[in-house]
Amino acid sequence: MSRFDVVVIGGGHAGAEAARVCARGGARVALVTMMREAIGRMSCNPAIGGLAKGNLVKEIDALGGLMGEATDRAGIQFKVLNRSKGPAVQGPRAQCDRDLYSAAVRAILDAEPNITVVEGAVTAVSPGFVVALGDGSTLHAKAVVITTGTFLRALMHSGETRTQGGRFGEPSAEGLSDSLRAFGLELGRLKTGTPPRVAKDSVDFSRLEEAPGDPVPRPFSILTDALPQPQVLCHLTYTSDAAHNLIRSNLHRAPMYSGQIRATGPRYCPSIEDKVVRFADKERHQVFVEPEGLEHPWLYMNGISTSLPADVQDRVVRSLPGFEQATIARYGYAVEYDYVNPQQLDPGLQVRGVAGLFLAGQINGTSGYEEAAAQGLLAGINALQFVREENPLVLRRDQAYTGVMIDDLITLGTEEPYRMFTSRAEHRLLLGCDSVYERLTPIAERLRILDRERLRRVEARISRIARAREVTATPLTPDKTTLEWLREAGLSLSEKSSVERLMQRHDFDLDAFLMRAGTALPKVVSALRELTEEERESVVSAARYSGYIERQRREADKVSADEELRIPATMTYGLPGLSREMTEKLSSIRPASLGQASRIPGVTPAAIAILRMHLRRSVDVR
Amino acid sequence: MNGSLTDTIVAPATPVGRSALAIVRIDGPQSSAILESLGCSPLPDERHAVFVRLKKDGELLDECVAIRYLAPRSFTGNDLVELTLHGNPLLVQRVVSAAISHGARMAEPGEFTERAVVNGKLDLVQAESVADLINARTPLQAKLSLSNLGGSLSETAGRLREGLLYVISRLEAALDFSEEGYSFIERDDAIARVDESLNGVQRLNDTFRRGVASTRGLEAVIIGRPNAGKSTLLNRLVGSERSIVTPVAGTTRDIVRETIELGGLPVTLSDTAGLRDSDDVVESIGIDRAREAARRADIILQLIDATAPDEEPVETSAAVIRVYTKSDLADVPEGELGISVPAERGIEELLARLDAVVRDQFVAPEGSAVLVNERQRLAAVEAESALRAARFSLADGSSEEIVLVDLYRAATALAALTGGISNSDVITEIFSKFCIGK
Repeated sequence: MSRFDVVVIGGGHAGAEAARVCARGGARVALVTMMREAIGRMSCNPAIGGLAKGNLVKEIDALGGLMGEATDRAGIQFKVLNRSKGPAVQGPRAQCDRDLYSAAVRAILDAEPNITVVEGAVTAVSPGFVVALGDGSTLHAKAVVITTGTFLRALMHSGETRTQGGRFGEPSAEGLSDSLRAFGLELGRLKTGTPPRVAKDSVDFSRLEEAPGDPVPRPFSILTDALPQPQVLCHLTYTSDAAHNLIRSNLHRAPMYSGQIRATGPRYCPSIEDKVVRFADKERHQVFVEPEGLEHPWLYMNGISTSLPADVQDRVVRSLPGFEQATIARYGYAVEYDYVNPQQLDPGLQVRGVAGLFLAGQINGTSGYEEAAAQGLLAGINALQFVREENPLVLRRDQAYTGVMIDDLITLGTEEPYRMFTSRAEHRLLLGCDSVYERLTPIAERLRILDRERLRRVEARISRIARAREVTATPLTPDKTTLEWLREAGLSLSEKSSVERLMQRHDFDLDAFLMRAGTALPKVVSALRELTEEERESVVSAARYSGYIERQRREADKVSADEELRIPATMTYGLPGLSREMTEKLSSIRPASLGQASRIPGVTPAAIAILRMHLRRSVDVR
Repeated sequence: MNGSLTDTIVAPATPVGRSALAIVRIDGPQSSAILESLGCSPLPDERHAVFVRLKKDGELLDECVAIRYLAPRSFTGNDLVELTLHGNPLLVQRVVSAAISHGARMAEPGEFTERAVVNGKLDLVQAESVADLINARTPLQAKLSLSNLGGSLSETAGRLREGLLYVISRLEAALDFSEEGYSFIERDDAIARVDESLNGVQRLNDTFRRGVASTRGLEAVIIGRPNAGKSTLLNRLVGSERSIVTPVAGTTRDIVRETIELGGLPVTLSDTAGLRDSDDVVESIGIDRAREAARRADIILQLIDATAPDEEPVETSAAVIRVYTKSDLADVPEGELGISVPAERGIEELLARLDAVVRDQFVAPEGSAVLVNERQRLAAVEAESALRAARFSLADGSSEEIVLVDLYRAATALAALTGGISNSDVITEIFSKFCIGK
């Protein structure tokens, strides 16, 4: 028997973050995984980040998590998506070498002396907490974080073939679902899928479109000075009528259509059979061909996730330009697994009514490495806080995408795997990657989970940017050199003119400014030159969009009164005037604040008015 | 308004006064219990009219017909009881008091409708049209309020919002799925659609003057030099001797008002002091009031004495009808309208002219959406300004997330007129229309 502060069950992206942050905070952690070498494994696509997901990774980095660092060590193609749009909606993405990635995660965890990796399958978790393993041994812990991903009673489908297991070649976790039910949790069933992998040497690359990364790759983590891996190309190809016809004529053999799978799959990550059926008028679908690694012999066929039988997959792949002679190294498959309706959790990702039990990642109905990791980090932080007997961390919707995601999950629940989108965040302009360190690192510092080096770098960044903002906002002095420079640049000096004002102009060109304004405005130029390219873009866009950003700030502040009106955990909803339907909805979600209550679907403004009155009254009494 | 939303309220639903019948409403969780305490036992089935002898402490209050409505199938969405009594104010008062003694509270004005709104039985526009319908003074006004109660304005606002949702969801898709290799919406198309919404909102804003005029009625002010015949005309139009008429200039000092129906709307005519420089303090005040009334008027009847044609200029944005009086005593200039009250000349023509002005400039077109109050106008103005800003940033090439700030503002303003819009609406719209996902 071994005693720990925290036991983390599962070594995926959520589990790794949870274990790491607890250890950083001084807790003794056991990380239980079925296979040591599967820690940090990328089950599906070999890429981290993307739109909105990239923001989650940056948030993790700002809070002291590991995903950004691991990505920088394993990244082989970096690209900022939406580069042509404003910084609030830009999303960094990196293709990774999948073996290097999981090795990087393992190395980061190995560097933490407080973490003990335990190899084994958890068969039961019982109150107290006692974690029972397949070999009969037990672990005792004050807090438990469950991050089982797609492994709970997992069933893989490939055509008519069904195999127990959460990932190719790995077993399923069978007993744990019963433990969760014993804690009073209701479980549901979800489905996800993965596309076929193709042998790289069987593909004619001359027939594919090249998809390069950014010429100057930008790392995720503030700790990274230089990216260690060489940068490579991805490729594009497209499906055609030939593929669509093949799929249509074999639909009866696809588990989702034959009725073999009943669980719900993600709408935004549809299988190729879904695409062909639902969007019959589309002549072609894009396939993004991603290397699985620098030396890896396989390619990942992003866009044709499928559970059709092997013979159909072969023919579909060979109908793609460049893939006429291709051989599939591993066939695509779908996975069905148990998940917990996240409405049963509190805003700290703790199971309501079971102090010390936390859930994070796909078990909560999400999809994606980044969504999982961000939850893992928060669940880990709150397990740590629980052990320390301190208050949990809850991020607000106007503070982080992580806050939006957790609030969505616990308030709305989810019936399909939940993925982060920028459009889910009503205060999106406040949540850009460029402001993530200002927003979140101070919180991590207060929680005593931050390493010195990260803090030093963040502080340096913040003060660099502040200095640049200050000098750019300073009114220009109408001396001779300045006036001359302005005239040459085709600008006129009005009262209160500043570089910030110039930046607001649509034709402002920062590079040209830095090249030409050196003698006239040496202080401004040198402050801006101290910044990285990314920091400079942030300063310019903050100036350009300040009106819009301030408006969102005001809107966020307007609703914060309701967010701050807390509802006690002991609240009983038998209030006079509340209909039975409202009472049921509120009692089942048990919102933590009036703001959260107002976002529960179907809860009427009248019910909120009654609740507000009641809460105000009880606050007054106190 | 806005007592507690959760207790039980009572009030007469018909005006105080003698009549054949009078209705008392009781709304809230205790309404059935109160009905039972008043002697209705056993309680009738929901929506069944029953004959009840209402009693308090054994004493008969009245015989009535009672109907019980159960939540949510009632006007307010709560449990509701309607008692149809004999129409004597004393009986009504005794029944209301009895209900109060059994735990009800006297309702505040508008409280039943307020409850209907918070329970989602009516949207705000519909609630406002209930009040307008009750206050309608002409058949045309009643028709307009019924049209908005039926959802004309709510539907138009809803359609405009749906049009915006189309653009919003595609711009959102362009942000969240920019890597998927689709073009979700072209800039030109987005601009054209925003323009279309903008036109719709502008058209709505343009209805405000007509909408207000049609619900509140119009103010028509008769002005002119002293002794031009203003009071004589007013008396003729209202059909009684309301204003004192003498040959002495400056007889009318304060404003005399009377309402008649013109072009389907109630029009309040005001007779004013004749405009001239006066040393008389009382007359001067009257003249200032006349000018003030003219500034606020919807219609001005500017009277000119044909025997001494001399106009006093007035500042106004109202529709002005020039009328030459005493046309039996002097010639009226070519093309001008002349009247003579004693000779009964030109009156029909004047009424026809007034009728035409009311119909052409003030009556809201039947069956179409019309803004009828300041709250609705403010929401529509906010939507218009947000759409202009969105139009501007679309045209100058701003990124989608910036355009969307203003589009959401416009959608929220339109929703403020009637209902709600949520982010999940946008996401559902995206997924129902596009093939997303690699």
